[in-house]
Amino acid sequence: MTTQSLCRTSKWIEFLRQYGPIPRNDNMYDEVIQRTLRRKKLQPIAFETEYLGELLDNFRSASPKSVILTGTAGDGKTYYCRQIWEEFGGSVDDWQKDSKIQRLILGDAASSPLIRQLIVVKDLSELTLEEKQSLLPQIATAILGTDTSNVYLIAANDGQLVEAWTEAAQIEEIDLVRKAIEDLLVGDLRELDGFQVKVYNLSRQSAAVLFPRILKAVLEHSGWGDCNQCAYQSQGCPIWQNKQRLEGTDADRTTRERLTDLLELCELNQMHLPVRQLLLLVANALLGHPEAKHRLLNCRQVPDVIAAETTSRASLYRNIFGENLPERRRESTEVFKVLRGFGIGAETSNQIDNILIFGADDPELQPLYADLVLSDSFYGADLKYQAQQRSYLEGDAAKGREEFLGVLQAQRQRLFFTIPGDRTTDMKLWDLTIFQYAGEYLNDLYRVLQEGKKVPKSITLRLIRGLNRIFTGLLVSNQDELLLATSGSYSQARISRVYEESISVARKRGESVLVELDKSRKKPSLVVNLASDIEPICFNLTLTRYEYLSRVAEGALPSSFSQECYEDVLAFKTQVFRQLAVRQSMESEDEDREEAMNIRLLEVNSAGIASERTLEVYF
Amino acid sequence: MLEILPRPQQIEQSQLNMWVDESIWGHRLYDEQTPWLCILEMFCITQSEASNGRAFVERKLNDLRYEIYPRLYLRNILFNNPHIEAIATEGLDDNERWQMWMNAIASNVGGLASPDFSYLKSRFESFKDFAEIVKFLQSSAIEGDSNKRWSSKFVFPYGPDCLYEDLRVTGEKVTNDRRFFGRTGELLYLMLCRSGRGEEILSHLESTGIITHSYSSEYRGSKWNQLVLALQSPADRSAPRTSGSPPYLPYERLPEYEQLADDWLNILRCDLPDYDSLPHIVTITGLHLIIYLLSRAKATLGESTPPQFVLEIVAPKKTTVRELASDEFQKNSNLPQRAIEYTIRSIVDLPEWQACLNSYTPIEDAIDLLQERFAWSAKDDDLDGSGSPAELLGSLREKVVKRHQQHLGKFHGTWSREIGLSSSRSSRRTRYAPTDSLLRTLVLASVPTRMEFQEFLAKLHQKYGFIIGDRQATDLINSGDADREDFVANAERLERRLASIGLLKRLSDACAYVQNPFASEVR
Repeated sequence: MTTQSLCRTSKWIEFLRQYGPIPRNDNMYDEVIQRTLRRKKLQPIAFETEYLGELLDNFRSASPKSVILTGTAGDGKTYYCRQIWEEFGGSVDDWQKDSKIQRLILGDAASSPLIRQLIVVKDLSELTLEEKQSLLPQIATAILGTDTSNVYLIAANDGQLVEAWTEAAQIEEIDLVRKAIEDLLVGDLRELDGFQVKVYNLSRQSAAVLFPRILKAVLEHSGWGDCNQCAYQSQGCPIWQNKQRLEGTDADRTTRERLTDLLELCELNQMHLPVRQLLLLVANALLGHPEAKHRLLNCRQVPDVIAAETTSRASLYRNIFGENLPERRRESTEVFKVLRGFGIGAETSNQIDNILIFGADDPELQPLYADLVLSDSFYGADLKYQAQQRSYLEGDAAKGREEFLGVLQAQRQRLFFTIPGDRTTDMKLWDLTIFQYAGEYLNDLYRVLQEGKKVPKSITLRLIRGLNRIFTGLLVSNQDELLLATSGSYSQARISRVYEESISVARKRGESVLVELDKSRKKPSLVVNLASDIEPICFNLTLTRYEYLSRVAEGALPSSFSQECYEDVLAFKTQVFRQLAVRQSMESEDEDREEAMNIRLLEVNSAGIASERTLEVYF
Repeated sequence: MLEILPRPQQIEQSQLNMWVDESIWGHRLYDEQTPWLCILEMFCITQSEASNGRAFVERKLNDLRYEIYPRLYLRNILFNNPHIEAIATEGLDDNERWQMWMNAIASNVGGLASPDFSYLKSRFESFKDFAEIVKFLQSSAIEGDSNKRWSSKFVFPYGPDCLYEDLRVTGEKVTNDRRFFGRTGELLYLMLCRSGRGEEILSHLESTGIITHSYSSEYRGSKWNQLVLALQSPADRSAPRTSGSPPYLPYERLPEYEQLADDWLNILRCDLPDYDSLPHIVTITGLHLIIYLLSRAKATLGESTPPQFVLEIVAPKKTTVRELASDEFQKNSNLPQRAIEYTIRSIVDLPEWQACLNSYTPIEDAIDLLQERFAWSAKDDDLDGSGSPAELLGSLREKVVKRHQQHLGKFHGTWSREIGLSSSRSSRRTRYAPTDSLLRTLVLASVPTRMEFQEFLAKLHQKYGFIIGDRQATDLINSGDADREDFVANAERLERRLASIGLLKRLSDACAYVQNPFASEVR
């Protein structure tokens, strides 16, 4: 029986490879995909995108506004343009032509009296200087509202956009438009009064929302039907294994949920991953193998991999972190750089490593070992693993040790995605990452807020304690109030002993400190209210900042973990003080010439509670 | 060619035995006076002049005279007071504590003939309170943890009553030995006078509370000034000392003075809270005085290009940028010395020198000429051997260089380190590598609200001669000394640094904006 007759090459798999981290010319990405789809007669990977509906409505309306789509490469600018083009009757062939500017007539005489022309600029950076110089003034008139016969759809990323307008801004009108666009970009706004333009920053599409849709579209694609005719489906094909694990079952969707969690945390940490990167992640996760061509498997290589017994190296859990790729390529691929930022595989806890290393021999650890490690014979403790484990424990040759440590890393990565939801607390799942408080952040803070409920008091109090330690530079335990102290000289000094004010955390006389969602951005922040008629001060709680404050609250020094967070907190402190000054001026306390001068210093007692000590000077 | 102001008639012969460094840079820039102490000296002068209604007004060129306070009671209490901590914790009652302490300090005091600290008791609730306050003021002192003598430690300049001069105190004797207040503050003051921006600077300084034009024996000022005043006896406010010989600043007008004052105003206009603007003022002053040092040196040498600095944003590995930054540091370090050597040597091109050589008494004439030009009276041991004018000149050159190396030659190195411009981190050689605090100061001084990153790099180059990115380094790249990529990477590192300290906002790919967090528009 020749292997070839058993293995049918799936067109779908070959197509999926196109999305993976293979060397390609990124500018032609969308075009290449479209061409491949038509050639192979496949269904595209289709999923719902966030703004398409709105955009179509805009162009259908009686007075459509020009639209600028910005975002990084891979956010879907070209995709949106094409969808809109086709929706309004533009022909697919016309689109494929290389012209950079496409024109289409919107509406007809019957439906609306005004016939408008939709002008689509696929990529602003492709235009030559002359083309930009002739086009931009026309766009300016449309944006200013002086010319309503044309409406524009422009795709550009931020940098090119600003540069193009700056170059063309010789005329006053254009400068007005340039400033408006700059304000829209920097202020992250959709529109401005008086300007007929809407700016859609596609980078604002949340990976947490899009990824499940992408995953579903890929995993439920009709192309997988081919695999049902392949004998290797039940004989250890790693691609099929990965597909099943990623899909999960009705009862157990741990892996895909945890991966989505991870991506959501990336977004909450202000690390944006465009659609292209998410597709790359899925393709690499399913098909990655360090010894395959371009490091991605295709059907033809599967029999060889099985024969060589290297299927464990196609592990889904390693592929998610790009372990199949050479270091250079991994470092330069955004999604892997971001995901590796969590340190999964390198970080660990004693508990987890004990199970992985000693689990076979230690009777206390054995049940967990059997449950979590032995039970997975494909990617868990296969025979090779067990042999290496023994070799490591018995202190054999150094090479064996190195190999086992590498395998240990892969196991930690696997455990991260397979520890069941009901065990995440006692197994301390998030100790497998740099962000030990990530689980709490996601579940007890972010999701709780999204459901409209209140954050548990213990979390708020811990955050306050962390802030107090950084604000004062002292090891204080106060958590019911926010201590505002200065050093008397610099507001950015490390240690601040001069007591100014304390703000009650619980609502009291207009003061309060709470954790809320920032309504405009759907991001959690810590909000300090000084008085009902004073603007509150918000501190955006990204994952990193949350981790930082929690660690400081539990004893870490303010200068450890993240210098950047330390600076951020000090800047926040300055903002709070500014508002405090506003409040003090509004209360217009008379500067009484008292007999005595009061100096209030902070004193910390043995329990770590700081209180003010007033010193009077009679002078 | 800018006209150089006439040399002062009376030169303190005891301290100055020649006039070479001074003719180029003024009397004087002093390396042991750190930027902070320079600012403190300048504040003392400003306050004195403000009290007399003539702050930043130079009525007669190079004739600055001012009054400055010793405030010895205050300084003894704060910095010459080892007993206070121990006595505060002793198990005695309050009166006994006071008594014990007053005895202790009376036996240890410096610079006061018949000390009387009894005024303190009525001002404080208890001795412990007094000790707390002393401890607090010690913790915020300027360079408080240095190992300098106690009479060279300075309380934070909260207000006019916190300003005093550096002194040498031995027993009851008090002298101004110019050990740390070496006149650099005086030069700074004159520069600001001559910049034409004095009035606005004064009004900003007055709003911080450090300077006031209505200083009198009834003056109280801000809360912190009053606190410091509470530690002073009435004697501290009387009997200021009048300054001695005036400083000398060679040029009446220079673009450097205006640039210095403009940057002061840029920072002061940010309206930073409390005294936050002070560290930035100190840093930017340091930078401008370094530029002044190098510009004058270059002008003397006849080089028309402004001073330039290649800055390496610290990288994990060695790059060509680090090499160039080290080389540039070395070159700049040598500039002042080259300038004075040139000055000495160029005398041979003068007709007067030729006349000396051709006269009947060449040596005597040469000595006279050198005396007239450089205020140097040759001693007998300079005239050894056959004694030709050329040898005499050589001997003078040696002495000039030696004198230069003692202080002014170290100015560039010391000050660039103090302001965070240079560093020898992970390298054997010192190079220009800015610290976070210097970067923050640069943003405050150069970015009004928001500025595109490349524009920011161009501005730094135009204002200070800083070369960080590839567009400013074209000359170096074209000459083959460096790769474009290295400078591009250097600029990228700066972007990341600025982002991590909250001064830069990245939109995407090619677009980054440097933001001044204290600009009125940007909240």
